[in-house]
Amino acid sequence: MAAPALLTVKPRARRRLKPSLVAGLVIIGAFVLMALFPQVIAPYSPTAFDYQAVLQGPTAKHLFGTDNFGRDVFSRVVWGAQLDMQIALFTTLFPFLFGTLIGALTGYYGRWADAIFGRVVDIVVTFPFLVLVIAIVAVLGPGLKNMYIAVSAVGWITYGRLIRAEIRGQKRAEYALAGQVMGYTPARIIFRHLLPNAITPAIVYWMTDMALGILLGSSLGYLGLGAQPPTAEWGVLIADGKNFLATAWWISTFPGLAITLAGVGFSLLGDGLADLLRPRG
Amino acid sequence: MNRWSYVLIRVLQVIPTFFVVMVLVFAAARLLPGDPLTAILGERATEEMVVKAKHELGLDQPLPVQFWIFLKDFFQGNLGDSINLKVPVTRLILERMPVTLFLTLYAAVLAAALAIPLAFVAALRKDTWADNLIRGVFQLGLSMPVFYIGLQLLTLLGARLRWFPVGGYGNTFGEHLYYLFLPALTLGFNLAAILMRNLRASILEVLQAEYVDFARAKGLRPSLILGKHVLRNALISTVTLFGLNIGGLIGGAVITETVFAIPGVGRLMVDSIFGRDYPVIQGLTLTFALLVSLVFILTDVIHAQLDPRVEAA
Amino acid sequence: MSEPILKLNNLCTVFHTARGRFTAVDGVNLELFPGEVLGLVGESGSGKSVTLRSILRLVRPPGRVSGEVRWRGRNLLSLSEPQMRQVRGGEISMIFQEPMTALNPVLPVGEQIAETLREHTELSGNALRQRAIELLELVGIPSPKERLRDYPHQFSGGMRQRVMIAIALASNPKLLLADEPTTALDVTIQDQILKLLLRLKDTLGMSVILVTHDLGVVAQTCERVAVMYAGRIVEVAPAAELFAQPRHAYTLGLLNSVPGAGSTRRPLIPIPGAPPDLTALPPGCSFAPRCAFATDECTAQRPPLMDISGPESPAVRLTACIHHDALSAAGEVTR
Repeated sequence: MAAPALLTVKPRARRRLKPSLVAGLVIIGAFVLMALFPQVIAPYSPTAFDYQAVLQGPTAKHLFGTDNFGRDVFSRVVWGAQLDMQIALFTTLFPFLFGTLIGALTGYYGRWADAIFGRVVDIVVTFPFLVLVIAIVAVLGPGLKNMYIAVSAVGWITYGRLIRAEIRGQKRAEYALAGQVMGYTPARIIFRHLLPNAITPAIVYWMTDMALGILLGSSLGYLGLGAQPPTAEWGVLIADGKNFLATAWWISTFPGLAITLAGVGFSLLGDGLADLLRPRG
Repeated sequence: MNRWSYVLIRVLQVIPTFFVVMVLVFAAARLLPGDPLTAILGERATEEMVVKAKHELGLDQPLPVQFWIFLKDFFQGNLGDSINLKVPVTRLILERMPVTLFLTLYAAVLAAALAIPLAFVAALRKDTWADNLIRGVFQLGLSMPVFYIGLQLLTLLGARLRWFPVGGYGNTFGEHLYYLFLPALTLGFNLAAILMRNLRASILEVLQAEYVDFARAKGLRPSLILGKHVLRNALISTVTLFGLNIGGLIGGAVITETVFAIPGVGRLMVDSIFGRDYPVIQGLTLTFALLVSLVFILTDVIHAQLDPRVEAA
Repeated sequence: MSEPILKLNNLCTVFHTARGRFTAVDGVNLELFPGEVLGLVGESGSGKSVTLRSILRLVRPPGRVSGEVRWRGRNLLSLSEPQMRQVRGGEISMIFQEPMTALNPVLPVGEQIAETLREHTELSGNALRQRAIELLELVGIPSPKERLRDYPHQFSGGMRQRVMIAIALASNPKLLLADEPTTALDVTIQDQILKLLLRLKDTLGMSVILVTHDLGVVAQTCERVAVMYAGRIVEVAPAAELFAQPRHAYTLGLLNSVPGAGSTRRPLIPIPGAPPDLTALPPGCSFAPRCAFATDECTAQRPPLMDISGPESPAVRLTACIHHDALSAAGEVTR
């Protein structure tokens, strides 16, 4: 009988890497490689016209076909990765840092800091996110830089809320009180003791947010308010091909799949990280 | 305090928030770069023309006075005139709003109609192929841009199979339903995915509750237990999420209307940005904010209706 | 003696989980007679609540129930699900430990009574409402008419338990299964609820199985007691006899570990060790590892439930303890 084995509590075998984390790392890793070395991976220039090869379907020579100017769609998708990975990072980096800071401070000090934060949240959520970003871009003018400003102005709120909720929970923990008794400065308590325990949900959300950033960036690109043609941004690529969807589906479809794949990759990465970082009892 | 006074308090809380929103919109239009006057008068306006225009638009008044006029006009329904179309902004918005409201509501209904049954299937068949398929498809949908879903549906079901029209929105209610089906599906899909995920999780949580055991011990039919005891409790958190995401739906309408060439306020917004039609942009931004505020209040009312314990919150 | 109204034959409830096979209820045989209050006692995890749920087939997956639940001539375990629904809440009702979680928080209590009535009676409209008011009155809720529209969180703990009892009694069941109905309540309220249950049992002519870990509650309410340990019944006896002279080493330990009902003070002796792991029960008597009386014989094979009723005790006494004689000779309850 297997009784003795069940009675002795064996330390669990080294935690296996979750498949979702591995899959996410592979997908995002591939896109990061494309972003870093597009000239190595892409067989053609993303902007070179070739009127001998206009609107060709996918072949061995042109993996994703060519567009109405004879540009190689695969090369454009690869170069697009450079821009869209940049969008993923730049739409979320400042919100992550600033939101974490604000969330930590309001969560730790509470009272009036909390009250002000609550009002700001109320006001920002009153605007539909996309409408607000579009409105800001409208005032500042189309383009990637203005899009980053617009998204950053709004995006930090979510991180602030996440961190604030976590810090408020952590603050009551024994070790935080112990820190106060020991006479540590608030800064030391917040950044050395509370934040490392509170940051997991924000990091996990960061991954989702990068996917959202790409969705937003490509949407603005599609509307003509983000990256400007002839730049190879995935949303712009889809807009380029929208008039050929019935006759040359590959022009829009492949960049769209790239966006979807990147989104799935970031989601998997987020799920995997959530699993990895979750403290286990 | 009963739960309806809680709702009243929430309504009163919206008022100062909306006031700040108005201050922000007012300030943005006047303090940020990108000069509306240049847009109105063109690049080659003379100094005299600028001074005259400023006077006509009240821009030579002190800011507080300008704000007072802005407030007064807003509550009288006066949002100024469109620069490009030369008609009152209010009239433009009122003309275009019904289509957008119809589209947004239609999308919300479709989202709920998709999310609720599928969430039940996924939760009750947890970890089976059905659950994985439903979650996989929705996860994929969440990763796709709205305009991409729209374009593919339009090409496949509209242009190729000719099951649906490729633009416009018809004249009768029935035609609206038919013409706007693809746009509403496109717009509602993300929301359906978000709702499905949340509802599935809360159904699984509620199914663990002891009142489900007690309901079974009372001899109730499974359909009654699921439809009444489980759904009502599971919907509580989902309704709040629904309200929070209506803003996203309105934002999505901007894109959807562009893809499907629907003459609603979303399309108007994009057109106005390219036409640098600042009064229209400003009016639309305020209108959207007002809409979202109303939805928040409505969400609170429904929440209070569903959950008798709100007063404790 | 009359015929038993309920008979459990070799009832087993097994949970198949990733960590192994839990045998929560392990071959339980038990009889219940009309109008009787039977106490089912044991530590938490001994399988008493699962036994109750198994009777009504309310065990959740991955739990599997086997054996026989003979109720008024039928085996409940072989009924179809619609037939079973007629039994649940109709012939056999159940009340739970924590009314706050067992009542649906978002439905008015009137509705929670009404839906049971709709399921099991022909009542509708005003008659239904009248019956609901009657039920609340029956369980002693003041101004019942006004309280129909209230939600569970608007009642006190004791009143909530009364509401749950009212729901359970809605269609005059013949058997009430009570799963620790007073554990969540204050002592004074606990007393009121137990008295209410006894009174209702008499007026409605029900039988009751009362699951509890509180021997004081047993002493106050039960005519007969079955003691459970690690999923098995280890002793069955009339309540008075069980308290006076336990015939299973575990029962003795249980009695010694709690303050006596009398006023005399005595040292409490906790049972050494912990309840066994249900995935890996020892081959013999499950209590043997913790038992001072245990011998090699106890660990060799599982002792059966033996009939030890003799001329001196006319009522049926059963025990699964090999050393029951030694107990009756040496192991007086230390009181």
